[in-house]
Amino acid sequence: MSVAVRQPGPVIEAEPIRSRRGIVWQTIKRRPSALIGAGILLVVVVCAVLAPWVAPYDPHEQVGPVFGHPSWSHPLGLDDGGIDMLSLLMWGCRISLVVGFAATFVSMVIGGTVGVMAGYFGGRTDNVLMRITDYFLVIPDVPLMIVVAAIWGPSLFHIVIVIGLLLWTSTARVIRAQVKSVRERVYVKRARALGAGHTRIVFRHVLPQVAPLLIANTVLTIAVAIFDETALAFLGLGDPSRISLGKVIENAFQRAAISTGAWWAIVPPGALVAVIILGCSLLGGAIEDALNPRLRVAHLSARSFRLRPLVGRGPDAV
Amino acid sequence: MRGADYVIKRLAFAVLTVFIAVTINFALFRLAPGSAVSNLSRVPHATPETRQALKRQFGLDKSKFQQYVIYLQQLAHGNLGISFANSQPVSDNLRTALINSVPMVFLGTIFAIVLGTLTGIVAAWRRGTKTEGASLTTALTFYSMPTHWLGLMLVILFAGTLPTGGMSDEFLIDPSFTTHVKDLGEHILLPSLTLGLVLFGEYTLIVRSAMLETLGEDYVLTARAKGLKPWAILRRHALRNALLPITTLIALSLGYIVAGAILIETVFSWPGIGRAVYDAVLQRDYPMLQGAFLLLTCSVVFFNLIADLLYFRLDPRITE
Amino acid sequence: MSALLELDELHVWFDLGENRELHAVQGVSLSLDAGQRLGLVGESGCGKTTTVLGLLGLLPPSASVSGSVRFRGEDILAGGEETIRPHRWTDLAIVFQGAMNALNPVQTVGAQIAEALELHEAASGREARARVGELLEAVGIPADRGSRYPHEFSGGMRQRAAIAMALACNPSVLVADEPTTALDVMVQAQILELLDALCRDFGLALLLVTHDLPVVAQLCDRAAVMYAGEIVEQGPVDALFHDPRHPYTRLLFAATPDLHGREALASIPGAPPRLDRPLEGCPFHPRCDRVLSRCLHEHPALRRLDGDREAACHLNDVPAEVA
Repeated sequence: MSVAVRQPGPVIEAEPIRSRRGIVWQTIKRRPSALIGAGILLVVVVCAVLAPWVAPYDPHEQVGPVFGHPSWSHPLGLDDGGIDMLSLLMWGCRISLVVGFAATFVSMVIGGTVGVMAGYFGGRTDNVLMRITDYFLVIPDVPLMIVVAAIWGPSLFHIVIVIGLLLWTSTARVIRAQVKSVRERVYVKRARALGAGHTRIVFRHVLPQVAPLLIANTVLTIAVAIFDETALAFLGLGDPSRISLGKVIENAFQRAAISTGAWWAIVPPGALVAVIILGCSLLGGAIEDALNPRLRVAHLSARSFRLRPLVGRGPDAV
Repeated sequence: MRGADYVIKRLAFAVLTVFIAVTINFALFRLAPGSAVSNLSRVPHATPETRQALKRQFGLDKSKFQQYVIYLQQLAHGNLGISFANSQPVSDNLRTALINSVPMVFLGTIFAIVLGTLTGIVAAWRRGTKTEGASLTTALTFYSMPTHWLGLMLVILFAGTLPTGGMSDEFLIDPSFTTHVKDLGEHILLPSLTLGLVLFGEYTLIVRSAMLETLGEDYVLTARAKGLKPWAILRRHALRNALLPITTLIALSLGYIVAGAILIETVFSWPGIGRAVYDAVLQRDYPMLQGAFLLLTCSVVFFNLIADLLYFRLDPRITE
Repeated sequence: MSALLELDELHVWFDLGENRELHAVQGVSLSLDAGQRLGLVGESGCGKTTTVLGLLGLLPPSASVSGSVRFRGEDILAGGEETIRPHRWTDLAIVFQGAMNALNPVQTVGAQIAEALELHEAASGREARARVGELLEAVGIPADRGSRYPHEFSGGMRQRAAIAMALACNPSVLVADEPTTALDVMVQAQILELLDALCRDFGLALLLVTHDLPVVAQLCDRAAVMYAGEIVEQGPVDALFHDPRHPYTRLLFAATPDLHGREALASIPGAPPRLDRPLEGCPFHPRCDRVLSRCLHEHPALRRLDGDREAACHLNDVPAEVA
């Protein structure tokens, strides 16, 4: 193992990490990308939760002409039904986020369980579970979602289930790898030797170690879930009785917003989705990065080592 | 032949996966509640003879298991049923749609790969500088945009300068070859640009990651110690090794581009596979939907297989 | 007459972020004459590899360097990468530890050696291939193995191939960083013999970095002992072994397991100090068995003793007095 070549010196440990649980919080504090991501998500969630009280207008009430232009009272203009865009966005956030969170929850539960079982028990269980995961991976998600939504009808519930059923595979894989490495750790082996039951070991020792990665993966999955919802809505498979951001875009598209030049009906909702997904990607990516520290020194880089002027050491430095 | 077993194993796995996909396809459609979906013979505007023929062909009056077997047999003959929408064989419709999709998707993918690779290398090379931050931010931003929304944005931007719908101008009567090509070119530009922009972000991340890995390897240090100049090291050692994970990851992603294609083709009214799926959903054209879904799944399996074989070819260490 | 290779007060710092620095190499001075063999000895993490990487300019961007590195009198470090690169491989070549990753896994061994030839000697094609064959034979590898990949070689053979590659451009100095660690004992002996023979036949100066004392004893005339980024003692190997003038040297030699198992395994209690903060006094004092009160506050300078020996220890100032 060529440790000597890579590391500057093992006598020093870089930023000791207290506990893995603290990593998420530490990452948010230290990395600007995580901070921005978390910030975005926080603002969006707050807006969505407070929508009923904060939104200036009712999202079902027509307050002006169809595709009314942006104005002081309606900064984002009106949509194809004369409804205030800003309020529409705030309300739409709610459904989009609900779908995103719910679907992610489903996928997390399935993926987490599969991953933990496969990683912890290994052997036969692992093989079987991984085979199943492989087959699920092969199925292209959007087409399957379309098919299922088409066959079983578009309702919020179906959509959540469908999205969740497709997204669990990546979670499963990631968790499995982590569980495998945790399982080999000394304290787990010790607990087993002491006769602790599997459930106990999993919940008290394995899960806490796996938690940060699970969080990162969850955040990233939320991004995908929200995207999938907009895709489904755009293709006409969204829940027609609910307003989601995807639905807003779809409505605008269907009602020829572009040809009427009403860009404000299309640009803001999509931009909002993009911002939410960006926030999730930044936060999730930053946590993932923090958990995989690249202690590796880059042996080649555009920048070079620096030269300092000669340092003299006095006869006897104190 | 080196690694013949490896190739055979991967092929076998691919075949098995296709088989499972076919089975799932059957289960999804034929076992769905109600006969609207499962009854392939309910082709509107079809003659009773056609309906009877379909009933016979697909054994729609037999048990589910028998139907399954017949389904496989018909599949082997390329018979996927008749489209509800235009009463043509599904396989013909799919073929046309596929031929239409390929150039657009191909162009978009090439663009994404080239742009992604360039930005990824730059980000890895200039690690820790603002350039890295900028290229990563750009990549992530485009990656976060919903595909269809980006398409719509481009439509808004370019409406008037470039055609925003369809594959060619229907009003061109008997165009010359160059006019035809130019017309196609104009039409293909926006959809493939959209695809490229949405995809490249992921590739930037992949390439950057792979490059950072290789740049930390000892043989890069050796190359530097040998007196090689940075560009030569990058090209001959770092990139060459990074190509392994890059190629396989890109190949793997190709199978999933179809999802993006569906949305793009819908926005731009491009008559390809994605649009076929959308239309089939809209019109509840279940045989088409079933056929398209099968085709898409097989394409994913196909590209996964390509990825496996590519990795095998590129990495001299695999000998099993 | 200036030495072939001279390091003068070499310092290396690593930037740890948040305004902290790791002072990995603290004023190392070495000199190597043509044909001479110097062993650089110390525990893992003492800075010996960093020193050697520093002299070849192979440090990462997080490093900053001061001091001078003179080859045949010319300061090659002064201009950074641009002044060092021309000397790489043609004057100063290095063999790394654990040759597995030091060789590119997707290129044949022969191609990698040829790369060095093509770069510096303007030999190409058939000429290069012939030379590659000669080099491989010189290290005991059949010439036709050049068309194989590194993973097809055993650990020992990979190390030999790395040595062959290092010799490709006829350097005057060969730096070997832990060349035998990670090899089993039998292979170690072969590699050492090989290095011995090659250095003799080609008149190479050898800078051998290792934590393994018997290796130094076998191959080198002189040795420099490093601790916590500094040289604490330097001199002829025999003198160091029989008459160490620094407690660390003494303890280090005593800690080497005796093959016949006659003596109990001695080890040095404690651990090396952290180098991310300034140290007071002698860096070894917490672990020293002959510590004086002076040692806690006054940093011992590296002083010349009788002959060509140097040591950094206050005990050498105390004339026959018991502490």
